[in-house]
Amino acid sequence: MHIAEGYLPWEHAAAWGVASAPFVVHGARALTREVRDRPENTLLLGASGAFSFVLSALKIPSVTGSCSHPTGTGLGAVLFRPPIMAVLGTITLLFQALLLAHGGLTTLGANVFSMAIVGPWAGYGAYRLTRSLLDRRGGTMPLDVAVFAGAFVADLSTYCVTSVQLALAFPDPDSGFPGALAKFGGIFSLTQIPLAISEGLLTVLVVRLLRQSSRGDLIRLGVLTDARPVREEEKSK
Amino acid sequence: MLPIDAAAHASAWRRRHPADKAVLSFGLLGCAVALPPWPGAVLVAVTVLTIALGFAEVPARRLWRAARAPLGFAVTGALTLLVSIRADGVGWAPDGPRHAGELVARSGAAGLAMLLFAFTTPLSDVLPRLTRVGVPAAVVDVAAVMYRMLFLLYDTTARINQAQAGRLGHRTRRARWRSVAGLGSAVFVHAFARARRLEEGLAGRGYDGRLRVLVDEVPVSRGFVARSVFLVAAVVVATLLLESVMP
Repeated sequence: MHIAEGYLPWEHAAAWGVASAPFVVHGARALTREVRDRPENTLLLGASGAFSFVLSALKIPSVTGSCSHPTGTGLGAVLFRPPIMAVLGTITLLFQALLLAHGGLTTLGANVFSMAIVGPWAGYGAYRLTRSLLDRRGGTMPLDVAVFAGAFVADLSTYCVTSVQLALAFPDPDSGFPGALAKFGGIFSLTQIPLAISEGLLTVLVVRLLRQSSRGDLIRLGVLTDARPVREEEKSK
Repeated sequence: MLPIDAAAHASAWRRRHPADKAVLSFGLLGCAVALPPWPGAVLVAVTVLTIALGFAEVPARRLWRAARAPLGFAVTGALTLLVSIRADGVGWAPDGPRHAGELVARSGAAGLAMLLFAFTTPLSDVLPRLTRVGVPAAVVDVAAVMYRMLFLLYDTTARINQAQAGRLGHRTRRARWRSVAGLGSAVFVHAFARARRLEEGLAGRGYDGRLRVLVDEVPVSRGFVARSVFLVAAVVVATLLLESVMP
């Protein structure tokens, strides 16, 4: 969920912009190096960004029965790594603000911090940790579990950060920041835990299909290695 | 095309330099966020609507459709300001309605100011000029590829979705899950396949790492910028004067 244009007081909007800037600058440098070393990757990075944009517009069936949109930050971080996602996420959020009126320009810094920085880093951390714990088991299960963990944590951490941002901006008149965090966090947890589970399941299904149809791309992106055992149905082909 | 981008391409201000419109829209956006919501946000909203509907000829229906979703978010979010959590339970927040009203007014006015820019300035006009304000060329090139590719992917998504619906792929919850996952992976495959084809096409044309596009050389209108600055200053002064005389 994007924080709408003008929703945050200007001091908070500016502070989140300053907090996000180092990560986006670091990502922009990484992206510039990547493009300088391999100019052909400009197109692949553009395709990755467009994929992230379209992915966030897909409607997923929620566990509660309604439909919602995935954040796409977990899958993006697993496929393209968090520093690159900081830039791609920033461009995606800018496009969403100007093309769809989702989010805004004054709240871009806050949205970037939750969706393009904390979400991808937390999701990628959960993904790497789970893979390192389960990889010795072999087979496809570790990847599925790690992808689920990455997408689930990325989604949930994004909304936790959004709750903190809103609670800091609008502290409760009686109980201050903790009370406001309980209010915003309580509302989000009702909707977001089912949605985070949904996004985790969807991401596992997407990666399973990609393993069959785009194995080469996943190897090139470092998600799979050549040595990794292939699925039984792939062996039989 | 996406409705806002389509409207921007057909806008009466399409031929104006993006900097002209940025000074006006972002100036008013700054006023909406930084000035006291009452009467600042109301003055900004009235000013933006007058300019958008009267001068920039933004279609009112499309503007409303674009504005209603973020406005809905602002209203829903503002409801939380009405209640307060205390040691003895939950109660009504003192001054809650005033704070909620101010938040909705500020967010609504700021959203309209941003939409004034979005509805009059296609992203294809903005992106090539970003290098002049210090954005690295590599980032601008990636953003330009994203912008051009996302319309193709949206089209692909709509077609696959239609095909899945035609094959009863949305009939049950299980089928819907399978369809959405298939859609996500198909979009990924399409995006990468198209990027590779673009790469091969560009390689045959001597691609050296930069994506050069022709940009209309439209001069910045000093008159328009001066009038915009004057209008923004007038909104600031009027807000401060009204605030000082109102109870």
